[in-house]
Amino acid sequence: MIKRTIGGKALGFAVTLLLLIAVLHPFLWILISSFKFEQDLIKFPPTFFSEQYTFSSFTLVWERIPLLEFFRNTIIFAGGVMVLSVFFDSMAGYAFARIRFKGKKTLFTLILITMMVPFQVLMIPLFVEVYKLGMLDTYWGLIIPRAASAFGIFMMRSFFVALPKDLEESGRVDGLNEFRIYWSIILPLCKPAMITLGIFLLMNNWNDLIYPLMLTSSTEMRTLSAGLAMFVGQRSIEYGATLAAATLSLAPLVVIYIMAQKYFVQGVATSGLKG
Amino acid sequence: MTNRIRAFTKFINKPERAAYLFILPAMLIITFFTLIPLAATLGISLLKMDVFLKDADFNGLRHFVRLFKDGKFWNALYNTGFFAIIEVPLQIGFSLIAAVFVSRNTRFRKFIRSTLFLPSVCSLTAIGIMWSFLLDPQTGLYPQFLTEIGLPRLEFLRDPNLAMPSIILMTVWRSFGYTMIILVAAIQNIPESYYEAAQLDGAGKVSQFFRITIPSIIPALSFCVITATIAALQVFDQIFVTTKGGPLDKTETMVTYIYSTGFGTAPYDLGYASAISVALLLVIMVVTLSMNRYFLSKESTDAH
Repeated sequence: MIKRTIGGKALGFAVTLLLLIAVLHPFLWILISSFKFEQDLIKFPPTFFSEQYTFSSFTLVWERIPLLEFFRNTIIFAGGVMVLSVFFDSMAGYAFARIRFKGKKTLFTLILITMMVPFQVLMIPLFVEVYKLGMLDTYWGLIIPRAASAFGIFMMRSFFVALPKDLEESGRVDGLNEFRIYWSIILPLCKPAMITLGIFLLMNNWNDLIYPLMLTSSTEMRTLSAGLAMFVGQRSIEYGATLAAATLSLAPLVVIYIMAQKYFVQGVATSGLKG
Repeated sequence: MTNRIRAFTKFINKPERAAYLFILPAMLIITFFTLIPLAATLGISLLKMDVFLKDADFNGLRHFVRLFKDGKFWNALYNTGFFAIIEVPLQIGFSLIAAVFVSRNTRFRKFIRSTLFLPSVCSLTAIGIMWSFLLDPQTGLYPQFLTEIGLPRLEFLRDPNLAMPSIILMTVWRSFGYTMIILVAAIQNIPESYYEAAQLDGAGKVSQFFRITIPSIIPALSFCVITATIAALQVFDQIFVTTKGGPLDKTETMVTYIYSTGFGTAPYDLGYASAISVALLLVIMVVTLSMNRYFLSKESTDAH
């Protein structure tokens, strides 16, 4: 065992405490400030705490901006991408991991290459494509381009490769077709991997800004990120309402994170494995 | 009908044929929305085309000539480079420090780890809103705090010289927990026996860190540096929400410039915006490849 000196322990404690305060204080501030009265938010000099608190920002914000629509759009977009992409990625990952076929290596290399292309480089042709398909400012226009992900295929494949060898054989003996084997033998075994990927995709798409900003144009189709960014730019609504909107937009992911931390962390740790 | 179903079942019962059906949806989507756009970026950059897609016209290399003479482009390139060169080392440095102190699996350290990762779960839009309020010259807590401890009242995001550094700090604050998670996983994979051997040799904590921890996690560390750099070269969200490239274009980056050229301001010049994205792709490729080479050589020298 490694001996830990008292000095080392104290240093470690001090460093972690400082990092903890540095990371948490803005969250604490925005949470507290969402409950402040408008005059306390714009008063000079500003203070961290306030003498009185109110729910009014949280009721006002729904009137000031179409927050309900933003939530609905974000859930449909990020949720739709999550469901479709997990399904298609796991199918492709399964084939790449467990079936021999011609051109497998070439196609998989191609997928690995697309993983490295930054989205910003594809952005303009993608916009043109979605426009030509007549899907700008629609849910399908947001969802379909993201309905499969190279990273997801890569991740599901690594998971399927690690499963025991002869798993499919029993299914083949029973005369199941390949899709049934995938659906009823393989899929039930990979729930954790699918949840990890699903959460990873949900988080990235929920938080994405430039993609929905580009592919939507009407206020009613904006996602939380894109919608809030537009309204903050205009500075047209109250401070309190802005803060309440930001707090509300963070809440769903933060709650899921608190309940299912390990899946968030696994997704990130897996993304590190390919390095 | 039943015959057809039977024929279909027979067809996909051959594993090899089934494999093509399994990869079909994903391959279609990736081909149509990643591979074709990648090729098209190069094509569109040679066209004269606006966001309404009317009168697209061949323009030759004129966009690239314009790029070379465009002061705003060089300014954006410089700002992007400045951002990456300062942000990445800070982010990785903080990740490494944090990872060293929280890598062992105790309840307390696991809690710290999840807390430090929390900002990475949150959208940069909300984080940008949060920080622009905290840094606001009149109503923000930070300028007030500086005044109270006797320092000048800084304007942060509105000061041309401080805007980019403020955005850098905001980004480090948000991102170091993410790379920390990857480094923690790497540190946990180092066999305990390495440290025990070093202790027998009388190596202290600091020399253990430099002689065992760092060399053992070079692959993870290089992955973090490269991905953080790629992300830094694409910085957009936090700038779009807070400064929109201002003040005095001091926070204009490659991607904010692409966005404002193509979608933000008239004449919505998609052709020219594509030319800037080709430049961005080149920058990212050159930086990634040279970093990769550097780290690979480093790994092989450490192995011997």
